[in-house]
Amino acid sequence: MNTALPKDQLQEVLDRITREVTRESVGIQLAQGESSPGEDLCTVHIGFSQGFHSTLSLRADTAMLTRLTQSFIQEENVIPQDVEDVAKEYFNVLCGQISSALFQATKIASRFTVPAFQQGSFSPEDYQEQFVLSYADENNGSAQLVHFVPVTGEQPETGDTTQTNEEKRR
Amino acid sequence: MGKRVMVVDDSRIQEIQMRKLLEDSDYEVVAYFRSGEDAIAGYGQADPDVVTMDIIMPGMDGLETARALLEEHPEARIVMVSSLAYEDTYEEAKTLGAKGFVDKPFERERLLHALDEALASEA
Repeated sequence: MNTALPKDQLQEVLDRITREVTRESVGIQLAQGESSPGEDLCTVHIGFSQGFHSTLSLRADTAMLTRLTQSFIQEENVIPQDVEDVAKEYFNVLCGQISSALFQATKIASRFTVPAFQQGSFSPEDYQEQFVLSYADENNGSAQLVHFVPVTGEQPETGDTTQTNEEKRR
Repeated sequence: MGKRVMVVDDSRIQEIQMRKLLEDSDYEVVAYFRSGEDAIAGYGQADPDVVTMDIIMPGMDGLETARALLEEHPEARIVMVSSLAYEDTYEEAKTLGAKGFVDKPFERERLLHALDEALASEA
């Protein structure tokens, strides 16, 4: 995000809120991850505007999103449409909390688009990855929160976007 | 019979969650609309005691919808629900006549308290 926050502070905010919202909304404890989602993955993403021009995406194992869905709506039997709808709502809540936290820190308000969902991975055109936060749940499902910024012709601040969250905090 | 709640949210998941949260309470969801336009058109027939209104929706957002709904139905009691917990959003919602604000993710007690407060307030 093109915020007044330094990148490491932004990472800390995104990481903290992702863990908090996931724990509070679906009761899933996220730990630092070491690997990328497998081939069977889905992505949900949102574009920010008015102050912060960036895109956030969450790519996750479909099995992990299915568990998240079961927990969110408290139903064992869920269909793909449920998974898509819950993923979008969960990410909507997550981005709202992130936006609110950034407002508290910077007094810059932002708004964001309604979430979009797709099977497989996603990279917005004319954007580049700035950093990736990797997570695992109790069942070894993997998810990654990816922060994209507009391509400006400059190189991203870090060349290694697959650093673990812990490495980034050091 | 419970107090009648109308849910306005583009996510059907929120309607499902709202129904679950209001189980065994004094409230029941009697109408659900996925857009502001549909909510304005359907308010009269739904005849709710209280409306929960999401803010971020495609087309008319929740604040625009609340404003339009209150122009047409000044008696409407609206509780805004959103993950956008900005002070200026609270203020805007309050200024246009909303009776309360509940942050997402929902907690049952906070939701029930906001609905009770909205009904206790003057129209």
